[in-house]
Amino acid sequence: MARSYLFIPGNVPRMLQNADVFEADALIIDLEDAIAAYEKEEARTLTAEFLRAHRPESVEVYVRINAEDPLFTEDLLSMAPLGIDGVVLPKTTLASLESYRNSLEKHNLDVPVIGLIETPDAFFELLEIARFPSLKGLLLGAEDLSATTGMKRRPGGEELLYCRSRLMLAAKAAGIRAIDTPWTSLDEEALALDIDVANRLGFDGKCAIHPNQVPAINDAFFPSEKELKEARRILKRHEETNSMRFSLDGKMIDKPVVQKAKALLQKAETYRQKGGKP
Amino acid sequence: MKYENIDELLDALDLKDGMCVSFHHHLRNGDAILNVVMKKLHEHGLKRLHLMASALFPVHAPILPLIEEGTIETITTNYMNGPIAEHISARGLKGTLTMQTHGGRARSIAEGERVIDVAFIAAPAVDENMNASGVQGKSACGSLGYAIEDSLYAKRKVLVSDHVSPSLKDPQIDGRTIDDLLVVESLGDAAGIVSGTLKITQDPLGLKIAREALRLLKALDVFQEGVSFQSGAGGISLAITKGFTETLKARNLKASFFSGGITKYHVDALEEDLVDRLYDVQCFDAAAIDSLRKNEKHFAISASDYANPNNPDRVIKDLDVVILGASEIDTDFNVNVTTDSYGTIIGGSGGHADTAEDSKLSVIVSPLLKARTPLIRERVRTITTPGEHIDCLITERGIAINPKRSDLLEKLKDANLPLLTIEELMQKAHAFTGKPKPSAAGEKIGIVESRHGATLDNLYKKGD
Repeated sequence: MARSYLFIPGNVPRMLQNADVFEADALIIDLEDAIAAYEKEEARTLTAEFLRAHRPESVEVYVRINAEDPLFTEDLLSMAPLGIDGVVLPKTTLASLESYRNSLEKHNLDVPVIGLIETPDAFFELLEIARFPSLKGLLLGAEDLSATTGMKRRPGGEELLYCRSRLMLAAKAAGIRAIDTPWTSLDEEALALDIDVANRLGFDGKCAIHPNQVPAINDAFFPSEKELKEARRILKRHEETNSMRFSLDGKMIDKPVVQKAKALLQKAETYRQKGGKP
Repeated sequence: MKYENIDELLDALDLKDGMCVSFHHHLRNGDAILNVVMKKLHEHGLKRLHLMASALFPVHAPILPLIEEGTIETITTNYMNGPIAEHISARGLKGTLTMQTHGGRARSIAEGERVIDVAFIAAPAVDENMNASGVQGKSACGSLGYAIEDSLYAKRKVLVSDHVSPSLKDPQIDGRTIDDLLVVESLGDAAGIVSGTLKITQDPLGLKIAREALRLLKALDVFQEGVSFQSGAGGISLAITKGFTETLKARNLKASFFSGGITKYHVDALEEDLVDRLYDVQCFDAAAIDSLRKNEKHFAISASDYANPNNPDRVIKDLDVVILGASEIDTDFNVNVTTDSYGTIIGGSGGHADTAEDSKLSVIVSPLLKARTPLIRERVRTITTPGEHIDCLITERGIAINPKRSDLLEKLKDANLPLLTIEELMQKAHAFTGKPKPSAAGEKIGIVESRHGATLDNLYKKGD
């Protein structure tokens, strides 16, 4: 599980060298939009050397590959052996996932994928996409979506509410991660608002396009003291009653609530190990 | 005696070859006075002078020919960067370079260890009684803290000013100690004297180091009512200062004092009543100068009252926490802020060694890698501040506590902080840079003097 997914361009040595100190729970090394066509080869080489020599510990590592051949296959074949946690597939649709699966089978590879949902078409087959084998999460790509649809992004993101809700529900229905789109300016107030919306809607984490966005995302997605206190009370009562079904403060608690409380405390402990709240 | 012509002034002074002349550095990189005076001393045929400037900046490059041909033989200073520093690093001086601390300079002057023959004191505002202030006039620089000992103990004290008023409110220099006043058209370039608003770093690594510093201070229970604090004007230090005052506010605490060089961020804390008073030995920006002018809880202090180790009333003896930088640090926690790893002089102690020794907690903050060179060495090129006075090192890849501070290690044993030994941190850097070879060194060019007057280390020409 990860709260923050930091995009790092695959062709900037200083960013790669420091990737593990930016405190992101996950890195998305970008070989796609951030890299000019003539730099693809160098970026691939640099990323591969970095992952071989300095793969960050305790950080999930994904690579955003190009969606179309020949770059797609070249990216996939160069990155797959490097022990990455998955690839991020741009402009994911059912058709592109089928192609992805065929490529994996052809080259005898097994690499999980995060679907980057950034085209209108994808929203009309979202549940099928979410349930596709090897899919680890859905990532909302609001910038490309805005460019295609004419949607205008504003702090608070009411224009994105439908897309966010639909993507989050599809991910939850399929039991995979719902990852929110990045906020593209460094305006701290607007970022905080955007993070808050994603958090309240039930997203599991959010992307960052600058390392300075990471602490705010990590803080927001860290369970609150109130949530943690409640979870501890539920588990204490669960242990006292030795039951998955009991009452607490007049409310009935059952198995899903107990499991959710356990998961919350586990998540908090994991995040605390990563450095916790400042 | 008042003069409007520098030649007339110099004719009236008892000038001799080999004498010591002093200057302060409150006009920073806007200072015109040091260059003008030294050029005139050269024109008057003086040789083998001892230049005792509290700091030298790039703006002082025009005196380089005087160093080369022998008008200036010896330099004693607390800090230098720019062309003069580069020249001396490569070619040395005819005499010796001595790098002092701010407190050490004040002590050595007050105790007669260094005798200044003539102190030329740039003063942004003076009155008819030769009282002087730094907060008025077109060349206002704020505190004149580093000039006070010169004004008290030099054999001859000359104020140099471009602003004469009938009277001054709260003068920082007492006219009764002054011998002469030279009125000039301008003390220098105002844009170089005063910085605009200093910016908190936006570098992600710098911000991470600042966050880790605050986490460490919290884990060490530093945030108490009446805590005292000092930090510099660098981007990371400013981020820590801002975070420090935000934490005071969040915890409904009030600090007793902030000291040293003062910035807008210190002033903001004073105005929000998060700190009781500011002890200002040097203003770093316009907000600090303005505050010193109008806020009665903002005090200009002398270098001796700031950091003279033999002054029992020095401010920093009550300092709880100081945040400091480093060019290099070694596995014994010795810190170098005087030279780079290859021997080029890039700064100097200033108040580094003073505050590290006196404060209850000294914290070094720095990126672990500086371009392609590691911060941590087995041995620093130059010792500015002895490791025994350094308590913590904070980098983006972990925190090292000086093993001599077992009390801190005990306090932190259950803290969720990335604690490593300094050797482990060094290895992390070497994983990226490889182990650097010791840099070559040429002949000796000077010394680093401890604040108590002993030789702490030697300075050598940078190697080929």
